[in-house]
Amino acid sequence: MNVRHFLIGVALPLLLVIASGCDRQQKVSADTPKTLTLILGEENTEGFDPTLGWGSYGNPLFQSTLLKRDADLKIVSDLATKWELGDGQLAWTVKIRPEVVFSDGSPLTARDVAYTFNTAAKAGGVVDLSNLQLAEAIDDSTVILRLKHPDITFIQHLITLGIVPEKLHGPGYGRKPIGSGPYKLVRWDEGQQMIVEANDRYYGIKPSIKRLVFLFSTENAAIAAAMAGKVDVLGVSSNLAGQKIPGMTLHVVKSVDNRGLMFPMVPDTGRKTPRGLAIGNNVTSDIAIRKAVNYAINRQALVDGVLDGHGRPAFGAVDDLPWDNPEIRFKDNDPEKAKAILEEAGWRDSDGDGVREKDGKKAEFEILYNTKDSLRQGLALAVSDMLRPVGIKAVPRGENWDRIKDELTHAFVIVYGFGGHSPLEMYKLYHSNGPEPMYWNAGFYVNPVVDNYLDQALRAPSFDEAIPLWKKAQWDGKTGISTPGDASWAWLVNLDHTYFINQCLDVGKSQMEPHGHGWPITANIDQWQWTCK
Amino acid sequence: MITQFLLVKTFRLILLIAAVATLSFVLVSSSPVDPVDAYVGAAMLRISPDQREVIAKRWGLDRPPVERFGRWAGQMATGNFGVSTIFNEPVLSVIGKRFITSFWLMALAWSLSGALGFGLGLIAGAREDTLLDRSIRLYAYTMASTPTFWVGMILLMIFSVSLGWTPVCCAWPPGLSAEQATLWQRLHHLLLPAITLSLIGIAQITLHTREKTIEALRSDYSIFARAQGESTIGIVFRRALRNVALPAVTLQFASLGELFGGAVLAEQVFAYPGLGRTTVEAGIRGDIPLLLGIVLFSTIFVFTGNFMADLIYHLVDPRLRKATGAIS
Repeated sequence: MNVRHFLIGVALPLLLVIASGCDRQQKVSADTPKTLTLILGEENTEGFDPTLGWGSYGNPLFQSTLLKRDADLKIVSDLATKWELGDGQLAWTVKIRPEVVFSDGSPLTARDVAYTFNTAAKAGGVVDLSNLQLAEAIDDSTVILRLKHPDITFIQHLITLGIVPEKLHGPGYGRKPIGSGPYKLVRWDEGQQMIVEANDRYYGIKPSIKRLVFLFSTENAAIAAAMAGKVDVLGVSSNLAGQKIPGMTLHVVKSVDNRGLMFPMVPDTGRKTPRGLAIGNNVTSDIAIRKAVNYAINRQALVDGVLDGHGRPAFGAVDDLPWDNPEIRFKDNDPEKAKAILEEAGWRDSDGDGVREKDGKKAEFEILYNTKDSLRQGLALAVSDMLRPVGIKAVPRGENWDRIKDELTHAFVIVYGFGGHSPLEMYKLYHSNGPEPMYWNAGFYVNPVVDNYLDQALRAPSFDEAIPLWKKAQWDGKTGISTPGDASWAWLVNLDHTYFINQCLDVGKSQMEPHGHGWPITANIDQWQWTCK
Repeated sequence: MITQFLLVKTFRLILLIAAVATLSFVLVSSSPVDPVDAYVGAAMLRISPDQREVIAKRWGLDRPPVERFGRWAGQMATGNFGVSTIFNEPVLSVIGKRFITSFWLMALAWSLSGALGFGLGLIAGAREDTLLDRSIRLYAYTMASTPTFWVGMILLMIFSVSLGWTPVCCAWPPGLSAEQATLWQRLHHLLLPAITLSLIGIAQITLHTREKTIEALRSDYSIFARAQGESTIGIVFRRALRNVALPAVTLQFASLGELFGGAVLAEQVFAYPGLGRTTVEAGIRGDIPLLLGIVLFSTIFVFTGNFMADLIYHLVDPRLRKATGAIS
């Protein structure tokens, strides 16, 4: 066979096959617009078992929950028709909606609810039900969840824990989830894709999009796929949101996914945690420094410069959530005020090197950030520039994340990110802590007044009645965790989460999203619709 | 004799596995990655220290390392590889699922690089110091010093993104099940990762074969054949080929280890759901049972490769077949 024969006999037909193969694929996607293809970040490799934590970040999709949050984050009913906290805030009595069935047709009763809660408490997954004493079904439609101690934030579990069928639940459940949610799992090719179809037996409003395909791939591959027109919904980090993808529009969702500077609140006296981690910092333990940092920073400039405009200034850990206290807002980008605060506290630049000092120590500290996170690096660098004119020398330093959390977290200013849908987070960040707190109040902040508000909030008789207490902990007119009070953090920005979506897709009003970009956008996926013919 | 050969090999394999398992366990246990931390991830504020203990207990991390290793080794001896922490599934089942996908990738890449590399090496050797030889050598040296993932990214950018000829991800078209996907579609998705892997694998075998061919062409029997009027092509195919094939076979089977390593990188780049990507995840997220399982599996895999090379030697080389005493 000579070269010409080879070309005609083998190569040409091969090329034709390649060309026709590509052609056919494009036709398939054009003829079946009912399938929605999404790339929303990482795969839950463990499977879809709520008792191990599936769905605790948003929406379990295959299972349904007792309560849920609507687009404004108000708590509304889902499986529960009535819910009451009683017995000295130690027992939730929940009435279950009648005639709900799982996707295999078997009925969902209070026994399944009790089983789910009891199992999740012991399962050792990413659900912390350690406060649950026992869940028991009184009859088919009533379940009582008994707590060990009063904690109003327990309601978060009623909102996020998907109910599993007692009869079908076992070690293999995560790979074959059966639930009562709007969708059911058709197949899961691990590492690659998950195919999902509407659950005909769903008791709520049936979703209008009947078939979803979730792809799992890296960000680069995801964008390549979107460019090739193979994807309808794609989560991208905000630095990639500037590009144009044909046929897609940018959908921007507000979030409480915040970034801020955590200050060590106590002086360094050589004290160590039981594991041997150093505690405290002699500069940031001075409230004047912390306040000056807070007032000097230009947060809008951080949003514009570091986040490319995809975000908003942050003033607290819970901005714009129902328990956010609007009175903690202040005018930032105010170097004069920062200077005045420092002068008054005795921080003066007597040797003319541009850095203030007091009692022989310089107004100088390091800002640590995770080396792998370019956004946090950008924030640290920008903040350092903003503090120099007021006479504070903040030196940005990239560090290995494991070293930050295992060695340095109690003695250095660190760029952290938080943001969740439960006020529990605020409690953990600011309530006085144990001897080995890890992330929980890593700066060793203690204010008895704040502790008191936070403890009262936990013991509140209802979620709504706790809200004023959460607000007072932030600022009660005299003291609080926020900048007008103890200035225990310098919160910087709240990110926007950016998604590219098919221009023929209406995703409704998205919830304000927690820390974690991607999956939370599916919170209202049962209401999404195609708008083009 | 063949039983003795097998016995010696089996004994070596067991020793090797024991050594590899111990070393890997020591390495993994002293890694700074905290499996519980990696598992909890962004939920860290919602998970109390009490709950962390429950998680650690579920995985047996509450016990001292030596005891854990003892228990693991005991279970291993009975064929129980344990349960992967990040997949919450038996390790063998995770490896089984992923290896099938990887297998086709590696098989295709391996055959391609073997056939092409051997062919190119023969040509380059036969045409020593011509332009052809120099081009082939340039290619081989370039590829030998190029990282797999980089080649993968370049190919992905050219053929998948710019030209749109090949798919950007996955083992078959999204939205279809494995059974629905046609053989052609699966090959189409396999093409680019396999080419990436083989492009690099070609280099070694080409250079090696080239050297051996040149050696063979300068041997007494080649000169004798040439003196009798045999052409270069004739010498290469009728005299040198069989001598050159032996080292090539060894090299090709010994390269299974590199193939495995290359697959890890290629699968990362092409979002190809094979064992390579799983290995990376197990490492990053501190899944000790899975990582040890994969390490042992790859040990056996590479060992089998070398074993096959030995075996094929005995089948192919008539000198070894006769000298039975030389087996070991």
